[in-house]
Parts: sequence; C-alpha cells; structure tokens
Amino acid sequence: MCSLSEKAEQIKENQNNILEVIQVENLKKRYKNINALDGVSFSVKRGEIFGLLGPNGAGKTTIINILCTLSQSSSGVAYVNGYNVYSQSSSARKSIGLVFQETILDNHLTAEENLYLHAMLYGVPLKEYMRRKRELLKLCELWDKRKMKVETFSGGMKRRLELARALIHWPQILFLDEPTIGLDPQTRKKIWDYIFTLRKKGNVTIFLTTQYLSEAENCDRIAILDHGVVVAIDNPENLKKMIGEDIIFFKTENNQLAEAEFHKKFPKYPIKLIGKELRVKVSNGDKFLPILVKSISPHIVSMELRRPTLEDVFLEITGRKIRENNNGIEEEIEEKFDLSSLFSFFSSSKKNNE
Amino acid sequence: MNKKIKTLYIIWYREVLIYLRNTVKFFTSIFLPILILVFFGTGLKTMFPISILGYDFVQFFFPGVLGLSISIMAISSTMSIVWDREFGFLKEILVSPISRSYIILGKILGATTTALIQGILILSIIPYLGINLNAFLFMKAMLVIFLISYGMAALGIFLASRLKKMESFSIVSQIIIAPMAFLSGAFFPLSNAPSWMIKIANYNPLSYGIDALRWVILSGSLEKSEILTITSHPLLLCITVFLVFNFLITFFSIRIFNKSIY
Repeated sequence: MCSLSEKAEQIKENQNNILEVIQVENLKKRYKNINALDGVSFSVKRGEIFGLLGPNGAGKTTIINILCTLSQSSSGVAYVNGYNVYSQSSSARKSIGLVFQETILDNHLTAEENLYLHAMLYGVPLKEYMRRKRELLKLCELWDKRKMKVETFSGGMKRRLELARALIHWPQILFLDEPTIGLDPQTRKKIWDYIFTLRKKGNVTIFLTTQYLSEAENCDRIAILDHGVVVAIDNPENLKKMIGEDIIFFKTENNQLAEAEFHKKFPKYPIKLIGKELRVKVSNGDKFLPILVKSISPHIVSMELRRPTLEDVFLEITGRKIRENNNGIEEEIEEKFDLSSLFSFFSSSKKNNE
Repeated sequence: MNKKIKTLYIIWYREVLIYLRNTVKFFTSIFLPILILVFFGTGLKTMFPISILGYDFVQFFFPGVLGLSISIMAISSTMSIVWDREFGFLKEILVSPISRSYIILGKILGATTTALIQGILILSIIPYLGINLNAFLFMKAMLVIFLISYGMAALGIFLASRLKKMESFSIVSQIIIAPMAFLSGAFFPLSNAPSWMIKIANYNPLSYGIDALRWVILSGSLEKSEILTITSHPLLLCITVFLVFNFLITFFSIRIFNKSIY
C-alpha cells in the first residue's frame, strides 16, 4: 500500500518535471462546414509565457477549449502536463487553471465564496486554501473586498478575481483566453504585472491568446494562427527579424561627409540621404548604434532607431493577400430547409440574439 | 469515496447557497401555496361541506397543494443549470476535475433540498388546518416529500440539460408541469374521473406522489376507508413507482448530460 502511494507520488513528480508541458500534434477540428483547426502542431516549454496570436475566428479559443478538455478535436493528439487530454482528461484538468474569454463568476456570491467553491471543486485541502486565498487576494489587491458580492465589482476587479481563482489550486499551466479584452490600459498593465510576478514566483507556464500586438511582445514565444493553421512560431525578436532589418535615421552637421565616411567603413549596409536625414538599414540596430556614433567624424545632431513591430510581422504573415486567395471559404453556405429547424426553436434561438 | 461525497457536497452547497441568497424567490415560493390553501381552499370548502364529502375539504386539498408546490419548486430550481450554461459558469464547473455524473447528482440533490425546505415550511402550517400530524408521521411525510422532490428535480435536470436559454426552460417546464399538475389528482379525486382520464393519469408519476402524500399525511386524521375514496393507488405501489421513476430519470439525465456540450 505504502509503496503504491510512493509510486503514485513518483509518477506525479515525473509529470511535474516534464519539460514540454503542452504538446499538440496535427490537431484538426471540423465544425459543420468549416475547418476551425487544420493541422496545428506546437509545443510549450515549462515556465514560459506562450502567446497565441491571431485575428478573430482564427481558432484560438478552439485550441484552448481542446486543451482544457471542453471540446474534442476531430483528429490529432494533445498532451497537457504529460496527460492525454482525452484518455486522461481528469488528470489534465487538475493541472490547469483557466481564465475564460468572457467573465465567468458567480455573481450572487461573494469573492471569497467564489474562491472557496473553486478550491473545493479542485480538492484543495482547507488549510492550504486559507493560506492560498490570503496570498492570492492580496496579490490581486482584492483582500479588502473579499466579503463583497461579485455583482458589485468592476470589470477589472472581476478579471483579477478570476485570475486569483484560476491559481488557487496551484496549476502547472495557466490558460488565459484574451485576459485583457475590454479592460482599460491601467488595468491591462496591472494584469500583465501579475502575470510577470507569477512567472517569477513559481514555475507556472502561461498560455495566453491575445489580439493585442503590443501585449504579444511580452510573451517569450508566439505562435501566429490564421485560418486554423500556425503560420509562424518563434520569439518576438526572431519574428521581427524575419520581416527585415532595423532602420536608423540620423542627422549630422555635414551629411555629405558622413555619407562618404559611412560608405567607406560599412560598404555592405545601404545608406541613403532622405531630405535632411540619412537612412541606414542594418540587421542589429541596437548594437550598431554605438559603432555608428564612433565611426563618423561630423557631429551628430539627432538619431532614431526604428524597429519593425509585431504589427508589421502580423500584416506580412496574415495580411490581406492570404485572405483574398481564400475568398471561397468565407462564402456563406445556404442551409437547406430542414424540418428539424422547427424543433430547434427551443434550443438554438440564441443565434438571433447575438 | 470520501472525495466523491465532498464533490457532491460542494455542488449541492452552491445550489442551496444561491437559493438562500435569493430572498425574494425564497419568500414567494412559500407565499403562493399558502395563499392557495388559505383562500382557494377555504372558498372551495363552502362548496363541498363536510356533510356531503364525509371529510374536510382542506384535508383533501392540503396534500395536493403540498405535492404540487414542492414539485414546481424542484423543477424550477433546476433552472440553475440553464442559467449556468447561459452565463458560462457551467464551463468553470466542467473544466474542474470532477465527473459529470457527480455534477448532475449534486444539482439534483441541491434542487431536492430547496423543495424539502419548502415542504417543511408548508407542513408547519398543518396544525392550523385541522390535520393531526405527530412526529412519526411528519418524518414519514418528509420521506415521501424527498422522493417526490428528487424525482421532479431529476426530471427538471433531464429537461434542462440540453437547453441554452432560460426562456426556453420556462416554456418547456410549463408544458411538462401543467398536464402533470391537472392529472395528478391534486384538485379533484381521480377515483371518480372518467376512465380515459384515469388511463392517462396512471402514466403520471405525480399522481402516485400525491396519493402517497395523502396516505401518509391523512392517516392520523381519517379512517383508512375514507382515504381509500380519495386516492386511486395503494401506498406501497405509489412508493415503488416513485422509486423506479427516480432511478430511471437519474440514469437518463446523467446520460443526456454526459453527451451535452458546455
């Protein structure tokens, strides 16, 4: 009996040491007429912040739903913390915390009760829960409001409470589906501060989806998803390098002389005089700037380094061109008249409201 | 095993907590049956005096109103599952590592508890109605109330497990509740009804439930032969039918919920 539980403990230990906490291979999901996911593969390493970036309807939420066992894929395999999401769904669910795209809290109950119910659903021991509750509510700055009903909370407070709730059972992986959507810039920044604190404190892996490119920059690695396919996956720096070089604009007291000097010293970088400024294209702008300053004799008046943003990457990869070629898919398919639609009066009237 | 009970407890706890928090619903749910008993019952009593019936009309009426109001309470409490789905909270429960069968059982027991609370409150006015109920009969009555509430709660879950909108639930539950109520024998004794009506009523679980309530609650006030005139099934049959019904409906609601989406 004892050895058995030791063994179980060991297995658990092994699971917690798996390096690739999320593994997804050739995941496909087909709804009636649409391929929501068309062969998605990627893996997420322990402890990193992994961002899934994509336009609306690219399949981000579908991936999250499959990974947190809410829906099943049509084909392909997915492992979360080493557990298969179909055959070991209960163990997989135990190792994840989840913040949904929409706010999902029990409005009739207080902040504390929401946490309590969640902790009990995940089988957190009571003592552990009390300690953890205090720690998390303080982290999310909701400790003073713990006895208030959730319906009186603002959007940002609700989001923070959801974050606390998702963390109360010590998840290995935290899924955040558009965590900052609909929030003001200050709250957004705060949420990100919590995310960074979390990563610093424990080895929580954070898997998030976002539409905000500025936020995606905060991730360690990004996968760009479009039409159910991963079109690019790398860290933000490399993604930006993919699209091209940095651009340096600078102004000197004698532009002609500077241009000639530059030509002599760095023949492989193109330089061009545009108006009163010189433009140089280089690959590592930040490292090149000090070299440039030292190697030019005329006095430099001003200098600017412009780097390609993720916005440029996103446009380049998922831009218009891709869409235009795929026009056929977006065509609406007319539904045939079907008797069963008469009976769906009860169940699917939701569509009309949305 | 301990862990499973804990899971059931936590789902049940949430249901009851929400019920008790909603004070308006709490009071209106008791208010209406008492109104019906006091005004409607007293009014009808003048039409059917004891000299004709051989028993007090309220004695006939009380178990029916009790049975109906706990049934309606149990069914409408299961609306919480549709509420949870519409506002997304069901997802939060579904991604937690507990099995769907326990979610369903917890929900059924939660709705049963709300109906039981209502049952106790309605039973507490019984001394004012001229019905004798000692502690033993009270316990027996609570057992029957539990059986009925559980069955109706499970039926409610069965209806609710596929619905996405609250409005559709109220429509569906009305469609189910109305015929069940009219054919339950709560308002008139089914024993004197036309045979086609009795045939349909025999398929109505609630008619067995209300008969069982009559057998138990009135056994301290009326002779067995008198109760026989206002019921159509013997007590043992009523209990058996309800046990089978509860078992089957639980099985089916778990099955249908396991297949449902979030």
